[in-house]
Amino acid sequence: MFKKAQTDIYHTDSAVSIKGVTKTFIQWQRDNTGKGILRNLIKPEKRVVTALDNVSFEIGKGEFLAYAGPNGAGKSTTMKLLSGMLLPTSGDISVLAMSPQKQRRAIMRNLGVLFGNRTELWWDHPVIQSFEWKKVVWDIPDAQYRKNLAMVTELLDIGGLLKTFARELSLGQRMRADLAMLLLHSPSLILLDEPTLGLDVMAKRQMIGFLKQLNERSGTTIVVTSHDMDDLEEMARRILLISGGKIAFDGGFAALRNELGCTKRAVVNFNNGTQRQIDYQDTGKLLHELSGLDGVADISFTQTSLEEGLANLFAKWRS
Amino acid sequence: MADKITIGRILRLLAISAKMDLVWLLRDTKYAILGIAGDMVNNVATVSGVFLIASRFGGIGGMSADEVMFMMAYSTLVTGIFIMFGAGNSIHISRIIGRGQLEHLFIQPLPLGVQLMTRGFNPFTGGGNLVVGTALMALAVNRLGLVITLWWIAQLIAYLITTMVIIIARSYLVSSMAFYAPAAAEEISSTAIDGTWFMSTFPLSGMPKYIQFPMLTILPEGLMAWFPALCLLGKPPLNLTAYYPMFFALAISLAASYIFKKGLRHYVQKGSNRYLSHGFRR
Repeated sequence: MFKKAQTDIYHTDSAVSIKGVTKTFIQWQRDNTGKGILRNLIKPEKRVVTALDNVSFEIGKGEFLAYAGPNGAGKSTTMKLLSGMLLPTSGDISVLAMSPQKQRRAIMRNLGVLFGNRTELWWDHPVIQSFEWKKVVWDIPDAQYRKNLAMVTELLDIGGLLKTFARELSLGQRMRADLAMLLLHSPSLILLDEPTLGLDVMAKRQMIGFLKQLNERSGTTIVVTSHDMDDLEEMARRILLISGGKIAFDGGFAALRNELGCTKRAVVNFNNGTQRQIDYQDTGKLLHELSGLDGVADISFTQTSLEEGLANLFAKWRS
Repeated sequence: MADKITIGRILRLLAISAKMDLVWLLRDTKYAILGIAGDMVNNVATVSGVFLIASRFGGIGGMSADEVMFMMAYSTLVTGIFIMFGAGNSIHISRIIGRGQLEHLFIQPLPLGVQLMTRGFNPFTGGGNLVVGTALMALAVNRLGLVITLWWIAQLIAYLITTMVIIIARSYLVSSMAFYAPAAAEEISSTAIDGTWFMSTFPLSGMPKYIQFPMLTILPEGLMAWFPALCLLGKPPLNLTAYYPMFFALAISLAASYIFKKGLRHYVQKGSNRYLSHGFRR
C-alpha cells in the first residue's frame, strides 16, 4: 500500500482465490471493578479474536456466490480483505489475478464494493451529480458512461431519482442508486455486504431480480452476504457457510438442504377427509408412490425452510 | 493496471470538486449570499481587531501598523487556502480516521494523496477568505510602498506553500493518534490547529525570545504568518535564515509522513469498527 505497487500477477482463472488466510484482531478487555481498573493501567488485558482461521476457497469467473454465516462469523472481514481495506495476518489473496495489498488501484478499476449500511452517494447533491463525480474519479470513457447510465437507469428504474438529493431518498431508493453507481465503471467482480439490509419486500424483489439478470447477462461475478437465506437461495447457485472463522460448508443449496436434513413433504388429502404426509428426497420415487394412491382430492408440498435448518445449525455451533 | 496520475487528471479531479461546490452554493441564492458574506465579515472582523490595536498604539512590538496589516493579509491568505482545500475533512483528517471513513477512500482507484488533495477543493464556498486576503495584501503592499517584482511574487507563493505544508503536516502528525485511539482522537486535528489559530495572527515581534523560539519550533504559530511576513518584508527575525520555514516544513512533513504511514499500516491491520456515516459526504 505504501511502497510502489509491485505487480503480483496470479496465474489463475478464478475471480477470487483465498489460500490459507488467517485474520486475527486484538480486543481490549476491561472490567469495571476497582481492581480491574488498576490492573488495566499497568497491564491492559487483551484477547485475540480469530475472524478467519486458515480459510481457503476459490470463486470462479461468472459465479454468483452467497457468503453466509452467523453474526461475527467473519463475513464482513472477508469482504474487507478482498477489497484491500484490511490486510490478512497470514495467507495469500488474489482478486482478479492481482493482490489487493499491492495492486489496490488496479483492482478498484474492475471491482465494485457496496456495504449495505453505508452509501457512496454524495449526501447533499442530486444522484446524477454523484454519478458524474464517479465518472471523473474512475476516469470512465464517455461512451461507456453513457451506455452504463442508460442501462442502470432502465433496469433499476432510477430515472425519477436522478435529480433527487441523496439525503431525500428512501432506503430502497438509496440502495438502488448506490448499486447503479457501483456499476458505472463496468466492474467484473461485485462484492455486496448485506445489500438487502432493511429493504421492504418490493425493494428486495427489485434488487434480487436485477442482480440475477446482471449475473446471467453480463457474466459479472457476484459475491453477496446476507442473513436472509431465502434471498440468498433465490440469487446464488453456490453457498459458502462460514462459522467461527472457518468454512463450514461449500456447495449448492440442494446439497446444503440435504446436509441440514431439511425435509420435503407431500401432504395428500383424500376424498374421505383423511390426510397422509409423505416425507421424501427423491421426486421420482414420490411420483411413483402418488400414482398408486386412490381417492386423492388434493396434494400440497412443503419443505423445512433453509433458515430454520440453519438456525438450528448455528445454535449447535454456538453451544 | 492502475492508470498514471497526470496533471490533467488532477485538474479534472479539482474541476469536478469545484463544480460540485458551485452547484451546492447555487442551490439557493439566499444561502449563497449569506454564506459568502458571513465568511468575509468574519474574516475582516478578525483582522480588524489586531489592526485597530496596532493603529491606536502606532504599531506592535517594533512592527508598524502597515506591517501588521501585511502580516494579517498573509494570515488571511493562508486561512483562505486552508479553507479552499480543506472541505470534507481532507485537512482535519483525524475525523475521517476516527470515524472509520478511510474505507471510502480505499475503494477509489486513486492514490490516497491525490484523493485528499483534490476532494476537499471548494473554491466557491471557501473562496471568501482568499478574496479578502488578496484585497488586504494589495492594500498593505500599497501602503508600505513595496516594489512588486516577479521574484517577490514567487517568494510569496513559496512562503504560502511552505505555511500550508506545515499546517497539513501538523494536522496529519497529530491525526495519526486517531489510528490508535479513534474515539478519543477524532477531533484532535481541529483542536491542535484551530485551537491555537488565533495566536497565528498575533505579531510576535515585541515578545521575549523565550516565547518567540518555542513559537517557531514546538508550537509553530509564528510560522503561520509572523515569520514569513517579516521575511517577505526583508527582515527575517531572530537572525534566522529566510529559508528557515522551508527547513522546518521539510522536517515536520518527513516526520508526519513516517508517523502517518505507520498509523495507516496499523489501521489496515486492525481495521475500524467505528464507522460513522456523517461527515464524509457534504
